[in-house]
Amino acid sequence: MNYEALDFYEVDSLLTDEERMVRDMVRDWVDEEVIPNIENACREGIFPDEWRVALGEMGVLGAPLKGYGCPGLSYTAYGVICRELERGDSGLRSFASVQGSLAMYPIWDFGSEAQKNYYLPKMATGEWVGCFGLTEPDYGSNPGDMITKAVDKGDHYLLNGAKMWITNGTIAEVAVVWAKLDGVIRGFIVEKNDPGFTAPEMKGKHSLKASVTSELVFQDCKIPKDRILPDVKGLRGPFSCLNNARYGISWGAIGSAQACFHSAKDYAMSRIQFDHPIASYQLVQNKLSWMLREITKAQLLAYHLGEKKDNGNWIPEHVSLAKMNNVDIALEIARVARDIHGANGILDEYPIMRHMANLESVKTYEGTHDIHNLIIGRHITGIQAFTREA
Amino acid sequence: MNIVVLLKQVPDTTAKISVVSGRINEDSVSKWSMSPYDEYALESALQLKESTNGSLIAITCGPDRCAKMLTDAAAVGADNLIHVVHEGYLDSMQIQSLLSSAINKVGADVVLCGKQAADTNSGSTGPGIAELIGAGCATHVSEVKYENGNFSAIRLNSSGSEKISMSVPCVFAFDKGLSELRRPNVRGIMMAKKKDITKLDAGELGVTVSESEVKLISHASPPEKAPGQKFEGASSIPTVVTKLRDEANVI
Repeated sequence: MNYEALDFYEVDSLLTDEERMVRDMVRDWVDEEVIPNIENACREGIFPDEWRVALGEMGVLGAPLKGYGCPGLSYTAYGVICRELERGDSGLRSFASVQGSLAMYPIWDFGSEAQKNYYLPKMATGEWVGCFGLTEPDYGSNPGDMITKAVDKGDHYLLNGAKMWITNGTIAEVAVVWAKLDGVIRGFIVEKNDPGFTAPEMKGKHSLKASVTSELVFQDCKIPKDRILPDVKGLRGPFSCLNNARYGISWGAIGSAQACFHSAKDYAMSRIQFDHPIASYQLVQNKLSWMLREITKAQLLAYHLGEKKDNGNWIPEHVSLAKMNNVDIALEIARVARDIHGANGILDEYPIMRHMANLESVKTYEGTHDIHNLIIGRHITGIQAFTREA
Repeated sequence: MNIVVLLKQVPDTTAKISVVSGRINEDSVSKWSMSPYDEYALESALQLKESTNGSLIAITCGPDRCAKMLTDAAAVGADNLIHVVHEGYLDSMQIQSLLSSAINKVGADVVLCGKQAADTNSGSTGPGIAELIGAGCATHVSEVKYENGNFSAIRLNSSGSEKISMSVPCVFAFDKGLSELRRPNVRGIMMAKKKDITKLDAGELGVTVSESEVKLISHASPPEKAPGQKFEGASSIPTVVTKLRDEANVI
């Protein structure tokens, strides 16, 4: 079944030639290498290592970063890459988001010149995988109260604490870990073989099964002094990373939604009930029409946000709105697509149930749907509603 | 070493083709792609470029839309891009005279192309160009190498394979090759964006496009497939057997 991406308003005609070439490159790769193998990867619960290699070879990791061997593409191109990857699977897009926006970006923006030169080229090629340690078992939406802490021991830092829900953790060579140093949140680069650092994989997920999710455990973990990120203090550090990742997700979710729409439309056209294709019935057309409507709005939102990111004319609340909306509609589209597929919708012959289960995670990570509502609520009213301790 | 690859943009194999008043309606083609055999020629040309440290020149002939395909070729490693711009129908001879003039203009040690284009299937470009530029030609090749000052190629057929050697200059028309066309990468795409396409028309090539020897009278869609036949019950077995034997010729 040849993939024709739904693009009702021809939003992709606004892309540059270069952005379209990048789109086609990633889309072809997803068709040839990801779609045929994704169900097996999910069943085995693995992120195929060939995908890491291919992403590095295509040169899409850390897409919008410039210099140090990074691609130097536009934010719009980064969004398009996320969309095409997530059309394959959210776990695949998660890998790229974490590598680029959460691990490479903080080193690129807040790292020393030596850190950038040492880590970024190898991360851009995918040789070194990165992960990002912010969330803790007891501190998810409220990272500011994190427990993990670093102590200055003169010639090194000593790190203690635990992080949870860390994409790429077990396969990462490099972890960007946020911990409190004298009560202030700082970023530290932890390497796989640092003493006192382990990254056990979390098993038993019903979602993002083709993605590695881990805990990061630091027990008197010794970190050389030159591994602190010198140029950022406080929550601004991790939040800057999250804003870039959330931006990518706002595009990525469209890819999932397009995949679900594509499958639902095809199924509805060929599934005969009461002597006619179910696509000929008004209730099914209503569902398809609603899907097209929401996808089109999401595409316009993402494209315009991309322009704003590229112009530097954006605020985090813009990103919150797009992440929240686009993931929300993608999840709802996956559910409605499952409905159109009837019983077949639960089979892995169709991508529906996998996208649906994935999007449950995507709705929660990188700022839950509710938290994004609170971010926008604060923007509207000027009153923060995250905590009662104002 | 100048390596020339000839590329043709054709309707993608997945695109629906509609015929309006006896002509293919090009405006309705949703996606244009590089002809698949040309992709094998391009991959082999890239490998030759790498093994000989040569220069790879990609040439196409066709309307403006074909420029994108040249940029795609640059993204995987073509060094120079030449677009012989021509709108409208050309017969095989006319195309060959335009392309061979462009080839002579740049000078080629070797020319690679697909054995036939996925749309017209005429299969005459390789041999026709070889004739016009005074080069030897081998068709249906799957692999080309440069060894000791000569080119060698593998030709596959149903009875096995044949290895041949040819002196410079020569033309190879590709069947399905050993390796699929490589995927571009971001670096290649960004370089391709900066690469100029040399646009030439018949006048600049010194070619007078004479009146076509071949008149295209009309296109027609293939006849619709007859619907399948359905038989129910054991009593239909003799009918099915008769049909399988006499109509389908499978037993």
